[in-house]
Amino acid sequence: MSGNTDSRVGTTYSLPLTLWISLFFVVPMAIVFLYSFLTRDVGGGVRWEFNLDAYAAIFKQTSSGQFIYLDILWYTLWMAVAATVLTILVALPCAYYIARTKNNTLLLFLVIIPFWVNFMIRIYAWVAILGQSGILNEGLMALGLIKEPVQFLFNDYAVLLVLVYTNLPFAILPLFTTIEKFDFGLLEAARDLGATHMGSLRKVMLPNIQGGIITAVLFTFIPIFGTFAVPDVMGDSNTYMLGQLITSKLKMTGDYPGASSLSVLILILTAGGLILYTAFQRKQEKDKMVTIAEDAL
Amino acid sequence: MTKPRLSKAVFWTTIAFLFLPLVVLMVFSFNEGRTMVWKGFSFRWYESLFLHQPRLWAAVSNTLIVAFTSSILATVIGTLGAIAIHWYRFKAKAYVQAMSFLPLILPEIIIGVSLLIFFRMIGMPLSLWTIVIAHTSFTMPFVLLMVTARLGEFDNSIIEAARDLGARESQTLFRVILPIAVPGIFAGFLTAFTLSLEDFVVTFFVTGSGSDTLPIFIYNQIKRKLPPEINAFSVVLIGVTVFLLFFARRSIKYFVQRK
Amino acid sequence: MKGSEVRVENADKKFGDFHALKSVSLTIKKGEFFSLLGPSGCGKTTLLRIIAGFEEPTAGMVYLDDVDVIPLPADKRHTNTVFQNYALFPHLSVFENIAFPLRLKKVPFEQIKEKVTRYLQLVHLVGQENKKPNQLSGGQKQRVAIARALINEPSVLLLDEPLSALDAKLRHQLLMDLDLIHDEIGITFIYVTHDQSEALSVSDRIAVMNEGRVLQIGTPFEIYEAPADTFVAKFIGETNILDGIITAHNGRFYTIETDQLGPIMVTSDRKFEVGKKVRHAIRPEKIDITKEKPEGLPDDFNILHGKVSESIYSGFQSQFYVATDQKLPFKVYQQHESYLERGPAIRWQDEVFLNWDADDGYIVELI
Repeated sequence: MSGNTDSRVGTTYSLPLTLWISLFFVVPMAIVFLYSFLTRDVGGGVRWEFNLDAYAAIFKQTSSGQFIYLDILWYTLWMAVAATVLTILVALPCAYYIARTKNNTLLLFLVIIPFWVNFMIRIYAWVAILGQSGILNEGLMALGLIKEPVQFLFNDYAVLLVLVYTNLPFAILPLFTTIEKFDFGLLEAARDLGATHMGSLRKVMLPNIQGGIITAVLFTFIPIFGTFAVPDVMGDSNTYMLGQLITSKLKMTGDYPGASSLSVLILILTAGGLILYTAFQRKQEKDKMVTIAEDAL
Repeated sequence: MTKPRLSKAVFWTTIAFLFLPLVVLMVFSFNEGRTMVWKGFSFRWYESLFLHQPRLWAAVSNTLIVAFTSSILATVIGTLGAIAIHWYRFKAKAYVQAMSFLPLILPEIIIGVSLLIFFRMIGMPLSLWTIVIAHTSFTMPFVLLMVTARLGEFDNSIIEAARDLGARESQTLFRVILPIAVPGIFAGFLTAFTLSLEDFVVTFFVTGSGSDTLPIFIYNQIKRKLPPEINAFSVVLIGVTVFLLFFARRSIKYFVQRK
Repeated sequence: MKGSEVRVENADKKFGDFHALKSVSLTIKKGEFFSLLGPSGCGKTTLLRIIAGFEEPTAGMVYLDDVDVIPLPADKRHTNTVFQNYALFPHLSVFENIAFPLRLKKVPFEQIKEKVTRYLQLVHLVGQENKKPNQLSGGQKQRVAIARALINEPSVLLLDEPLSALDAKLRHQLLMDLDLIHDEIGITFIYVTHDQSEALSVSDRIAVMNEGRVLQIGTPFEIYEAPADTFVAKFIGETNILDGIITAHNGRFYTIETDQLGPIMVTSDRKFEVGKKVRHAIRPEKIDITKEKPEGLPDDFNILHGKVSESIYSGFQSQFYVATDQKLPFKVYQQHESYLERGPAIRWQDEVFLNWDADDGYIVELI
């Protein structure tokens, strides 16, 4: 469909966008790609010598046989999986409950309101709760349950807690939109045919809301690869996540090729996730086409 | 119909979890003492917030300048782009569509890293301007997405109708396209504005000395010892946000009904 | 006459590999209510869009009153379009939607008000002028779209399946209104539809299209009674098709030896030679169905015997599917007459006789 044959108008309207995106996204990304093959120079610069050193560094081992970067990557992946699973497990029933409630605008607002408070302030609030002189410790001591303050901060659990906290709405909202479109009559049909309540949810609803789950997973999983503030504030200073590693390379050691190669790595991981996502959508489209074709016959 | 009892329990527990930090901040903003031990009710941190925290207010002012400038830029450029993508043909269409979709899903850190390296390479000093550029870049795709979603409710025939009835290109834009895109433009602007206010990661990379925004300021403070005024400030911020949203909702309703 | 003559010559349109229009030529007279009728994908909408100026033909010419309009964009042609999905501007009231073309021309408000009011009366929407499109029913939206398309006083009004989104009753009402509006303003109407009953009931002439070609142009009577080929015969109304070979020929009378039913009598004003294979069609409502063997019929009546395999009662008529003794399915419509004239009721599985006048049968084409 194209009534608008005049491409000059389209070019005019899209020109600012094309220029901006090229100059401030495509070109910088290309530079990152280029830098990842250059050599690090002393004083935070690069030398124009092409090699794969920055990538080789990812697989570098210490004398004791430890992979430093690969361990960080593995740790990040592990944290991302854990945080995503936890987030989805909590978000699913929440989204289900909102979708099944009639006047759900208020419930949706309740989910979103905490996120009008600045991200950093929310992290800070958790420090205030979990810190050594935080209210949790003060409360426990006042109750006489502990004598000395316990360090709840600076460990993986604190990081996971805050990651789940910050990601929840981004998982609840896409799940809600798909569940809302789901025909709940199907659940009754399944019950009528002899399925248990949980069985009908698992066998009938789950396959029908796959799209929403995948979106929610992508929304939580991918950003964790670049997360920096949460592990930096809440985590153990001896464990690094990928985002922290990149930041330190860029801001502290001035290792531009190193930061670039790790960025390219994240880019590839994201692209992988996306390809899986579109492949899934294609398959769904194809299944739909097959169903339509069968109906037609 | 079975009552979703389990999901109800999970939902309200989650809401409690989400609100817990806010309640804590709110309560302790009225604490007489400077720690998380309750020493009595007081407004002293509110007083001190407005009298003794010039750097915090400078950060607030930076944040607002950046948010307004970048979201207006993103809205104007993004809206025009969305119109072009949805309704017109042009050469670089596939390229623009793909490239403006990417920042939506890439981890923010990538945008920060690439822009920092870019600014360093071309020798552009880090300042409020670099933050504005960065924020415009990563919020623009959201504007594009929201305006396109709105335009998606209309097909080509609405433009054809305008042309058929004698409208020139500029008349079509100002009398038909922009008015029907208003809800999307508004949503896009608000999203861009909020994302800019919120942003830590991208800003962290491209901020220069003296151009700290609020999230950067708070981050730097957490790393040392956070002043108790932050509690009071959070409450003020929540208050302002709720007020603005209430006000925005009222004015949106008014706007919609009047039309 | 305020309308224009529209002449299309050898219009051809390709979308990539898809050949949407194959050298279409037709002339639409001034002030005519002309329908383009055909199944979806037949090219009717493409032809309309070419006349409107939304598409450029790959080859061919379009003239409005002998003026070549191909170089003119849509806004420079004296045609206006009523779109299938109405295409009303959602942010404007009914009044402002209709006033839109006048606002563009910066007409003084007094004149706008006077003219819009006149057109609101024409489409029976007085009192609705301050509503927004989303507050209107489908029928009302379509009326706004019609008024808006007419206010520029075009010489040709193009209607692209304007009623397809409405329910049956409303469709009929609006169709009658359209007919009245056409009579009142007297401009040329070009009406695109896939619904044969819409086209038959209001058109002065119809062009039946399929697969990018015009198969027949004629009055509704001609199209129904003398379809130019099998497609038209099947697409317009219902029909029973019988193929056979002409065995005898006496003036207008032809005898066709069909494969299964034996000889069938039919009249035709066209000339066919003995020995040719032809297709014969008979409309279901022209067949009489009786339980008793009809007596005293003239020689040129065809009589068949069969059994009712299905009967559908639909109020004013009944539809029967009759399997002849040779197992050939026949569709027969029986109009319900007054109590006195009605014979014994025919039911499922009844043995029946079918008969029709040779004059009602029709030789469609050589095959």
